[in-house]
Amino acid sequence: MSRGNKYAQRSGGGIFEPNMTPLIDVSLVLVVILMVATPLAFQSSIAVRNAAAGAKKAAALARTDRIEISIHADGTVGVNRMVVPREALAVTMKPLVAQSATGMVVVRCDDGVSHGQFVGVLDEVKSLGAVQIAVVGS
Amino acid sequence: MKQRRLSPEPITKVNVTPIIDVSLVLVIILLVTAPMMSVADLPVNLPSARTREAEDQRNISVTLGSDGGMAVDQQRVTAELLAPTLAKRLAEPGNKGVLVIVRADTNAPYSSVRKILSDARIAGATRVAIATRQRTEAPR
Repeated sequence: MSRGNKYAQRSGGGIFEPNMTPLIDVSLVLVVILMVATPLAFQSSIAVRNAAAGAKKAAALARTDRIEISIHADGTVGVNRMVVPREALAVTMKPLVAQSATGMVVVRCDDGVSHGQFVGVLDEVKSLGAVQIAVVGS
Repeated sequence: MKQRRLSPEPITKVNVTPIIDVSLVLVIILLVTAPMMSVADLPVNLPSARTREAEDQRNISVTLGSDGGMAVDQQRVTAELLAPTLAKRLAEPGNKGVLVIVRADTNAPYSSVRKILSDARIAGATRVAIATRQRTEAPR
């Protein structure tokens, strides 16, 4: 009777059940690795200057120190009052960002534009080397 | 000289190492999932972006779902109550100058995002960020 007991070591018998703890342990570690490695579950963000003081400060900078971008609902983008197609934004912006001393970009956006397009422009501006982005209500 | 016994006494103590091991892994899982639990359960398709900024600090999230629903952290709010709720949250101790993250759906019109940004400004938010989904492919 005692040989079938779980605690049969004392009577000379071995542990016959598989040890589940290492299995569970390794599985949980794999879960953690998957969670960390999945970038879809984790959001990123683009910082914008939105506070009244910050935006005013940005707008008060000299025209040569800031780059003004306006995103239009018809798919075009205005860079310093020069209207270019959306695809040409990077080409137009690159020399301007390089010349800018502050790297400040002021973005205005029309109401008809979708949030995705707005963020697409912010992302492109940021990847071109803009230091700060200020969003101004149009 | 004392001779070492070949068959020592059986170990009668409970082995606590696997318990500690599994518990620590569970703690890590909780730590990883904690930031994900602080956002509202609204369907949001975040716009994707390549650039990435640090976001591991404390923040207040404002969510604008694809169905137009709004929430501050986990609390659902109406558009009219957004500014007061956000102001109340920012006035809580330790929340001064905390980052406000706007999580808006990619198809949401910019007018509603502008409203949230303006409400955040009214509520006294000093630092604002727009949430994106990290794009994984290599940059062009």
